[in-house]
Amino acid sequence: MTAPVSAPSTSTVPVLGLRNISKSFGMTRALSDMSLSLFPGEVHAVVGENGAGKSTMIKIMTGVHQPSSGSLEVDGVALRLSGPKDARQAGIAAIYQEPMVFPDLDVAENIFISATGLGLVQNRAALRSRARSLIDRIGMTLDVDRIAAGLTLAEQQAVEIARALSQDVRVLIMDEPTASLSDHEATQLRQIARTLAGQGVAVVYISHRLEEIFDVADRVTVIRDGQHISTRPVAEVTPDGMIGEMVGREVGNYFTKAPSHTRPEVMLSVQNLGYADAFKEISFDLHAGEVLCMAGLVGARRTDVALSLFGIHPATSGQVKWLGQPFHATSPAQAIQAGIAYVSEDRRKLGLAMPMAIRANITLATLNAILSRLGLIDRAAEQGIAESFRKKLNIRTPDVETSVGMLSGGNQQKVMLAKWLEMRPRLLIFDEPTRGIDVGAKAEVHDLIRSFVKDGGAALVISSDLPEVLALGDRILVMREGRQMGILDHDDATQETVMRLATGAISLKGAA
Amino acid sequence: MLGRLSPQTLRILALLVVLALVLAFFASQVPNYFNARLFNRISSSVAIMALIATAQTLVILTRNIDLSIGSVVGFTAFATGNLVAGSPDIHPLVLVVYAMLVGAGFGLINGVIVAYARVPSIIVTLATMAIFRSALVEYSDAKSITSSQLPQWLVQFPNTSLFEVGGVQFRAAFVTAVIVVLIVHVALNRLRPARRLYAVGSNPEAAEMAGINLRLTVLSAFVMAGALAGLAGFMFLARFGNITVVAGLGFELKSVAAAVVGGVNIFGGSGTVLGALIGAILVDLIDTSLVRWALVSEFWREAVLGALILTAVAVDAILMRRLIRMRIAREKERLAALPQTEAVE
Repeated sequence: MTAPVSAPSTSTVPVLGLRNISKSFGMTRALSDMSLSLFPGEVHAVVGENGAGKSTMIKIMTGVHQPSSGSLEVDGVALRLSGPKDARQAGIAAIYQEPMVFPDLDVAENIFISATGLGLVQNRAALRSRARSLIDRIGMTLDVDRIAAGLTLAEQQAVEIARALSQDVRVLIMDEPTASLSDHEATQLRQIARTLAGQGVAVVYISHRLEEIFDVADRVTVIRDGQHISTRPVAEVTPDGMIGEMVGREVGNYFTKAPSHTRPEVMLSVQNLGYADAFKEISFDLHAGEVLCMAGLVGARRTDVALSLFGIHPATSGQVKWLGQPFHATSPAQAIQAGIAYVSEDRRKLGLAMPMAIRANITLATLNAILSRLGLIDRAAEQGIAESFRKKLNIRTPDVETSVGMLSGGNQQKVMLAKWLEMRPRLLIFDEPTRGIDVGAKAEVHDLIRSFVKDGGAALVISSDLPEVLALGDRILVMREGRQMGILDHDDATQETVMRLATGAISLKGAA
Repeated sequence: MLGRLSPQTLRILALLVVLALVLAFFASQVPNYFNARLFNRISSSVAIMALIATAQTLVILTRNIDLSIGSVVGFTAFATGNLVAGSPDIHPLVLVVYAMLVGAGFGLINGVIVAYARVPSIIVTLATMAIFRSALVEYSDAKSITSSQLPQWLVQFPNTSLFEVGGVQFRAAFVTAVIVVLIVHVALNRLRPARRLYAVGSNPEAAEMAGINLRLTVLSAFVMAGALAGLAGFMFLARFGNITVVAGLGFELKSVAAAVVGGVNIFGGSGTVLGALIGAILVDLIDTSLVRWALVSEFWREAVLGALILTAVAVDAILMRRLIRMRIAREKERLAALPQTEAVE
């Protein structure tokens, strides 16, 4: 697949070109044979599913990673970027969803923190006026004397863009810049992107909001599974066509949907749930024996819904009924007490104590149950519990004394699951259960979730992996930017319908 | 109206108010509280405290801490005394530079281990605090320096009155220390490389992305702190004349206390040395005044100091959170007042 390049601007030499770039991390191939040309004055959108290779591509363009093969060209000349510093010197800069500002410094200082050639002594007046002209250049109004700590996200991003401009940026990569912004702020940011393109900067715009791509971009590139799929002028693209290209991968046969165990009785009923600015009006019923999957793209705030149900950030609006009783958890302890378990997406940070033994990890949350009469831990009982889980979940390890850090990702996930199952929950909230684990272990984790609901529990599974959502979910709730876009029955769901909801191309709000 | 001032200016103002309140309080409790002796006593002690508080601030700004500072003060005081006792004709300036170089050397050791071996500074300096102290014991051979070994100019230096205002003497040591603090203050605000200390402590990740050399920045903070501690060692020698192996003991905690009371954020990134100076004055003022306050037994002085530190940190945290919330609220109002033409999506 070669890039069909049609230059929109007068210039015919791309300011930045990727030539047949491949990048592997160990056994995983993140990018293969990727080619792309960026021209001065264009806003070039790059779209793709989670994990399609966008971040790897950005990291190669900004010199964070070096390609395994292929090359980068700046103004048609091959160039090796051995670090972020090289990229900056070549005029390539990136801003991210989470802006990088110094909260304790003011706006002007933030902009010029890494600038050179300004002399040893900081001339406040000169600094201020130069900062102001940069802020003007991107069409914002912002007091350059303000301390960055009080800035809104959009303003922080403006500061970052101004910082890039101060270093004569020629290629500006915006990585999901609007994912955490309000509509008004997002509009502001898109205007900045257009303004910069008007000044001859090549802007790479990465976004999950399809409608904004049609608003801001000149050309669109779709990538999937680390490969370049297409590059077209935005006028020749339709939302459906774009989505089709994004998900066009074949679904592996290991993901076949097992029969549903859904029973009629409702275990969890959620009405108009909301939390601060994160999400609102989330409503669904979860039945005994049911697996409800929550699908959505990065920034859909699915995890926030889970954290609210689990009491980490208690909901600020709406009602929850749990087993027929009104329920409002204000702490995880309360949720656990009520029989709700939350298996975090971040095993390393929130889930497991890596240096500790498998045995100790499994019984960590239920220590009280295995205390002997003297108040000491009953080693034999602990051992027994750990051993039984090792067999039941097929945790591959020499023995339960092995430290969790030594296990593979899939087996770590099983230990984490064991820890929660040991508490005998009725509702299991599972956040990205198979992220970063291999296919075999994925299937095993799916089986474990199914056998959990078969025994009468209910499961809420958050997953960004579309085939997984389709294989596991009896129903699929799709979220987008804190809103519920609709609930699909398994039989009505395809990758395309889920993706359309997730990107806001259609909405089932009324019908759900 | 207060929201328009920078947080740092607000902090300094708040500290001055607290200072005035403390003075007023003791004046009402202790008969004949205000006198020239109060000022003189505090000013000679602050001359040393201000320097180590400034040194500590430089390190804390980068999200580190230097617990070895007291040992460095002790060692340089002894080494400098030893040098001048051996060759009394040495030029005063050479002596000062010597003290600062010795201190900077210790700072270099701390900085290299923290920045390049990536060991947390609290562990590194806890260890070097003990090691430097033992080095002093070894180097001094358990002997002391006495003021009789020192040249007259050195012994007289701290008490030389530069000028007097109504019986209140401004002595050379105090004035020197204040000038040094002011120089560092201006440098931190106006020298571009110095802003990197703030950047590194404020958001290390962003600093790295912005091309700032994290390790070099941290290393230079420790070296500068060492040099200032060396200068404090010189002051210590001049003030007390008699130097034993326990010189500077406990200074590490006093310097942290002064910095924190002065509004320096213990997590790095914000604070001023001017604040640290006022913090040092406040800590010293309370310490000195409590001695004269009949109501509080001597044993409770430390506790009052501890309470002061807790109060300072709590008030600071509340104040800053309020301020930021106020600003965000004002910003939202401003946005709401804007014409909503573009926000139709």
